[in-house]
Amino acid sequence: MPKLTIDGHEVEVAAGTNLIEAARAAGVAIPYFCYHPYLTVVGQCRICMVEIAGQPRLALGCATPAADGMVVKVETSERAREAREAVMEFLLANHPLDCPVCDQAGECLLQDHSMREQGSEFATHMTETRRTFPGYERRLIGPHVVQNQNRCIHCSRCIRFTREISGTAALTYKSRGNSTFIDTFDGSAFDDPMSACAADVCPVGALTVREFRFRKRSWKLLSTPSVCPGCSIGCNIFIDHHERVVYRFTPRENPAINATWLCDHGRFLAEPLNEQAYLDPQHRTGGQTIRVGWGEALAGIAAELKDASGLRVVASANLSNEELFLARELFGRHLKGEIAVPVAPGEPRKMRNGKGEWLHATDPHANSAGARRLGLDLVDGEGLSRFLYGGAGLTLILDPGAHPFLASPEALQLLRVGTTVVWARREHPAAHAATWLLPTPSLAGNEGTFTSSAGAVQRFAQAFAAPGTVHRTATGAMSPSCPTIAVPWGPPGEARPLWLTLAALARELGVPPLDLASPADVFALMARKDKAFAGLAWETLGGLQQDESFRERQHVG
Amino acid sequence: MSTRPIVAASPEALQIVTFDATMEARIAELLPRYPTRRAAILPLLWLCQERFGWISPGVVRAVAARLGESPAFVEGVVSFYTMYQTAPPARYVLQVCTTISCAWCGGRELVAHLKERLGISFGEKTPDGVFQLVGVQCLGACGQAPVIQINDDYYENLDIAKLDAILDELAGRS
Repeated sequence: MPKLTIDGHEVEVAAGTNLIEAARAAGVAIPYFCYHPYLTVVGQCRICMVEIAGQPRLALGCATPAADGMVVKVETSERAREAREAVMEFLLANHPLDCPVCDQAGECLLQDHSMREQGSEFATHMTETRRTFPGYERRLIGPHVVQNQNRCIHCSRCIRFTREISGTAALTYKSRGNSTFIDTFDGSAFDDPMSACAADVCPVGALTVREFRFRKRSWKLLSTPSVCPGCSIGCNIFIDHHERVVYRFTPRENPAINATWLCDHGRFLAEPLNEQAYLDPQHRTGGQTIRVGWGEALAGIAAELKDASGLRVVASANLSNEELFLARELFGRHLKGEIAVPVAPGEPRKMRNGKGEWLHATDPHANSAGARRLGLDLVDGEGLSRFLYGGAGLTLILDPGAHPFLASPEALQLLRVGTTVVWARREHPAAHAATWLLPTPSLAGNEGTFTSSAGAVQRFAQAFAAPGTVHRTATGAMSPSCPTIAVPWGPPGEARPLWLTLAALARELGVPPLDLASPADVFALMARKDKAFAGLAWETLGGLQQDESFRERQHVG
Repeated sequence: MSTRPIVAASPEALQIVTFDATMEARIAELLPRYPTRRAAILPLLWLCQERFGWISPGVVRAVAARLGESPAFVEGVVSFYTMYQTAPPARYVLQVCTTISCAWCGGRELVAHLKERLGISFGEKTPDGVFQLVGVQCLGACGQAPVIQINDDYYENLDIAKLDAILDELAGRS
């Protein structure tokens, strides 16, 4: 393990680590534009030049491996500083001064470096007018990506991304020299299952995500660490939100699963999180639907549960481990009900991990593996139909989105026979068949864990924390969970996470061991009772304990 | 000297390109000369240009498929080099050296004459599709300046009279 000194800080790094990463470990920031930790090193932008004692020429931080005894100067080298200044002059010679109207502002590596090192001191020798690319200034290069070629600094990150990660090699440089621009084959649409990642890796505003453009200034956003609900691979994400509106998902680094990538399918599940069709608990009685308080609803449902002749619970592979565990313990073990977890077939999805291996999934649920590990009964559409035909006095639907069959006329007819309790967020036919309807928040208003298809138990945090609670997100500081249902809670209206209503029902039904105050407490109990979760600790799950330097690495472009 | 005219395939004919046995034989000869298939991209493109007259998107697709590269990559390479034609060229492409030796030895006058006689500028074709005028950088024949390369042949030590005679002959053949 080479030990070296960077700007006076001694650091020991793994063999093969380049100077940029070694400096990061030492707390020194070497600027870079074309370098990306998961792409090949090309040394194109030249901004990462550093001085190494004993070497006459400046070296590239990205392409120089750390060596034992190396003495590296970054901030403390006048020659390196001059070199960086010259590189910036080159890059800014043609870069438009449109930061105020550029959507990348705030998360632009060029802007960041310019402000950090140059401030207002910038001078240029240029007298020519700026180079422009008429017709390529606001071009929809693909369904999700907008190109502004004027801003491009020719780092080739997007090209390398399509060649090395998504594998489509759909982007290329066209022409040469001063006229070089980014394009697709024959002007065809940039049709790549991970196309928005090309905008992610773009260090400037040359490629931006169409769906997010001009919706929110990046510095206003809070980033809450979470897990993508799009399939069973379990890619790590940030939910970027502001004032209880979700604006986007961005990938969160996890070398074992999604490196720093996210597929378009998962990424654009962000917007639907803002849908909240149901804001209050409702009770349908005598042909009338009335809004009720949580107290009344819980008492009413508890009474139904006590009197029920037969209990059937349709759980869901979209629910968290904690919710599935509570459902199993409360409805299965204590109330002797039957529980089924329907799973639907899904589109094939794939993701490239940090080692370059593809992970595949055809399971559209985030937590089928968790349900399986909890010993729950996973059923397909046919099994679900049989389950509902079994007939029961009381049926609970924990998530109408669990399976498309629940929206079929056949299922609705079955649900109307007995008493039905439905937990729902989005408009759904099953909600209209409910005797009791309980509003739940989206993923952004909940917290818990999912188990990925590869068996990783990963935590997602609550984006809309209760007012007044500690809430700095990406650092992993979690909001203390709400102890009772009456305390104001982040999600819109009266929507409450399922785990919280299940814990409250346990209290109503006199099952104190399950009357738990937070998903963390549920997890602790689960880890004690279930072999599948034994030895796991809430605090250390899923990378949420990372520090600030980790966060800095998240937005690598 | 008889310069062979370029016979450019029509855009319609080059929409979907397949290589026939003759092409495949030449490709098979070409590939072993390079350490990777990708490295054979430039000669393969030359082969295509020789055969079809120019590199259409259909040709790009066929080359990409043959080399296991993406069409975008191949098109990027084509666009880097000025000598690959990306539109059907005229029968005779007049590549006039505009670099200093030729320019001093009468090249500028040749360019002015060509523009006037053909009624076109650099990068354009005559309406009858016979001549195309291209300004190029040094052709490496400064000792014989001024020089014009017509298709694959060099015409050296030119003056306006010699050039006119050449153009008359080529136009007459068309």
